[in-house]
Amino acid sequence: MAGGERLNVGAGQDRGRGVPGFLGRRGPGRYHRLNPLTKATLATVTAIGAVVVGGLLGPALLVAAAVLLPALAAGVLRRLLLLAGLLALPIAISAFVVNLFFFPGGADVLFRVGPIVATAEGLGFALEILARILAISGAVTLFYLTTHPADLVVDLERRGVSPRLAFVANASVQAVPAMVERAAQITAAQRARGLDTEGSIWRRVRGLVPIVAPVILGSIAEVEERTMALEARGFTRPGRRTLLWAPRDSVPEATVRWLMLAGLAGLVALRATGAWPG
Amino acid sequence: MTLALHGVGYRYAGATRPSLLDVDLVLPHGEVVGLVGASEAGKTTLCLVASGLAPRAIGGQIRGRVTLDDEDVDAWPMHRLSQRIGIGFQNPANQLSQVTESVFEEVAFGPMNLGLPRDEVLERTWSAVDALRIGPLVERDPRRLSGGQQQLVAIAGLLALGPDHLVLDEPTAQLDPAGTRLVADAIARLATGGASILVAEHKTDLLLDVAARVIAVDAGWIVLDGPAAEVLADPAIEVLGVAPPAAVRLTREAERGGVPAAARARLAEALAK
Amino acid sequence: MNASRAPELRLEGVTYAYPSGVVALDGLDLVVGPGERVALVGQNGSGKTTLVRHLNGLLRPASGRVLVGGQPAASRSVAQLAHLVGLVFQDPSRQIFAGSVHAEVEFGPRNLGLRGADLRTAVDAALDRVGLAGEARTNPYDLGESRRKLLAMASVLAMRTPVLVLDEPTTGQDLRAVAIVRDSVQAAAAEGRTVIAISHDMEFVAETFDRVVVLRSGRVILDGSPADVFGEAGWRALSSTYLEPPAAARAGVRLGLGSTPSAAALVAALSGHAGRPAQ
Repeated sequence: MAGGERLNVGAGQDRGRGVPGFLGRRGPGRYHRLNPLTKATLATVTAIGAVVVGGLLGPALLVAAAVLLPALAAGVLRRLLLLAGLLALPIAISAFVVNLFFFPGGADVLFRVGPIVATAEGLGFALEILARILAISGAVTLFYLTTHPADLVVDLERRGVSPRLAFVANASVQAVPAMVERAAQITAAQRARGLDTEGSIWRRVRGLVPIVAPVILGSIAEVEERTMALEARGFTRPGRRTLLWAPRDSVPEATVRWLMLAGLAGLVALRATGAWPG
Repeated sequence: MTLALHGVGYRYAGATRPSLLDVDLVLPHGEVVGLVGASEAGKTTLCLVASGLAPRAIGGQIRGRVTLDDEDVDAWPMHRLSQRIGIGFQNPANQLSQVTESVFEEVAFGPMNLGLPRDEVLERTWSAVDALRIGPLVERDPRRLSGGQQQLVAIAGLLALGPDHLVLDEPTAQLDPAGTRLVADAIARLATGGASILVAEHKTDLLLDVAARVIAVDAGWIVLDGPAAEVLADPAIEVLGVAPPAAVRLTREAERGGVPAAARARLAEALAK
Repeated sequence: MNASRAPELRLEGVTYAYPSGVVALDGLDLVVGPGERVALVGQNGSGKTTLVRHLNGLLRPASGRVLVGGQPAASRSVAQLAHLVGLVFQDPSRQIFAGSVHAEVEFGPRNLGLRGADLRTAVDAALDRVGLAGEARTNPYDLGESRRKLLAMASVLAMRTPVLVLDEPTTGQDLRAVAIVRDSVQAAAAEGRTVIAISHDMEFVAETFDRVVVLRSGRVILDGSPADVFGEAGWRALSSTYLEPPAAARAGVRLGLGSTPSAAALVAALSGHAGRPAQ
């Protein structure tokens, strides 16, 4: 059973006409087939919640419950750990090191590295920061691994977002790999004309113009043509457009979303008023 | 439905000179018309004006009238006009929306934009898919298809809007021989089905196959307009910068080379097959 | 520049696969001698573009080797090989960056170390050859698409490399531009340079080059003069990769005149040599 909503369309006399079965087919797991807004809400609530909640235990519990458990259920745990880890790595390392050694007011010394001192307070704080970074990275990665970008955009469009806005959002995301590929092609062409991509920093900076300029100029020319093609297909018609499918939503899911948001609001309130120790 | 241009002139935004000058052109229903000319002679401009993209999508100044069945269309917005006249371009990838994951959704893009009832969207999409024979491709990601296949998807996407006229600006210019064959065959099939098409091309052999009539443009004017075989055999087109079909070129070379008439006749016969 | 100075190009057992897994070259062998005019033909995906990118080091073979002038290409960087092999890409918008035609054409030779009078001569000669002499200060994006493509070619012609490689130089071009490309190929060959062109236009190939190499699935399936490749003996191999010989060749065979790949050959066979097949 596919995860997309499809009305029964009586159209077409042939068997197999009407909405093709492969549209909106998502999976493989049940978690994947959740409404993208639900998954997005979970990611947002987890990320913000991890920052807001105090101590080490809070973020750790959040990560376990809202990131690792769903990832396991969705069958993406291994990829998630890899990807989230890679994503967080640069920030995590620097944040950890900075806090371990340079935490202001740290007195309880753990060990020394030359003139630099690692303190217990520093370690504690560093771990807390690390937990938050991992929580945010994990939440975002989980969303990315279990949701098609198009699904979120279509869902938003169904809920009333302007189709043109939705299109721009979708196209922008999809445009990134195309731009990267274009930059690679351009680099090849300029190297073939003797552009030196090794050598001094100054040389390499100067070498950016012959690469960046065509990316921009070429993209502009392309955008013109693509805009014309879109207009030729009725894109500029005001109003909503007909959707052939949209990700399924349900009352229980909507309820869960509201509960998550309410929970986050409550957490923020508790922290703000100092009622929750942190 | 007859598409006609009456005394049409057009100047691109920011240009110092017009690209089209006083064009009178009648494109009746059910005719396939070829359009030839050197680069920058005005082929693309003519296509843009005939389809309404000029001035609606790109600005610029237009003079004269464009009519459909004698009704002036200058007040029509693009989305209304695109249901009467479809326009395709030479770069296949640039015509895709880039936001669909299946050919089916890509072809359905136009009808979806028009907000038509779901049944109608589906019916038109399937109908366009059938017309271009891309049924086997409906599940594929349009961005991963070959250039020729993408061009077919683009044309299907235009047909799904239900236009009376198709304007194709050099559809095979960027395709390899296999892709060119794919698109040329599709155009020929649409032609036998009674479609009204204006197709600009450098490949005059292709035009000889599909077009009944050919127009030649030069410096913004229409300088020749007549039956395809006649116009493409006219020595004037070479002066205009248009390569004649192979058969014409070879018989002409044979004449210049002093080949006797009998041998030339046999050559013409061999080329006609 | 004389013929002995153009380096020999040699590919031995070259295999290359893209990161996506697609095997573009499959144990390919090819030797191009100094001063040859070679056309590379084949459907998209047959390996033509991949092959030419091995000639200037943009791609390095996964196995096998590439020799330029007897030396392994692997021992030289792309910037170094650019002195020997000039490659014109198919899409000018993936290359043009300067604000003027002159600056664009100057970029290549300047990178190669040309200065002063030498540089000026190289640039002027290249602009002249493609018919853009009067547009030195024009912005490339104010030229039409067709002339921009010629500009891209000029910017590599100005580099004066002993080997010139053109990727689909006539695609989408009108009669006048095709003539310019053909003249440029002939001029380069007359100076003793090696010219290699990828093309879909069999007419252009038959009329302009003395050797045709047909690729399919990363291998050479046919290699010879236009008369060989487009003669009846070559048709089966050509059709196996969905290529058609030029009309002159087909007419020649139908008329029993042997292999007449170009208009000139066909006319020669028809006039005054009736009964003797053209070679």
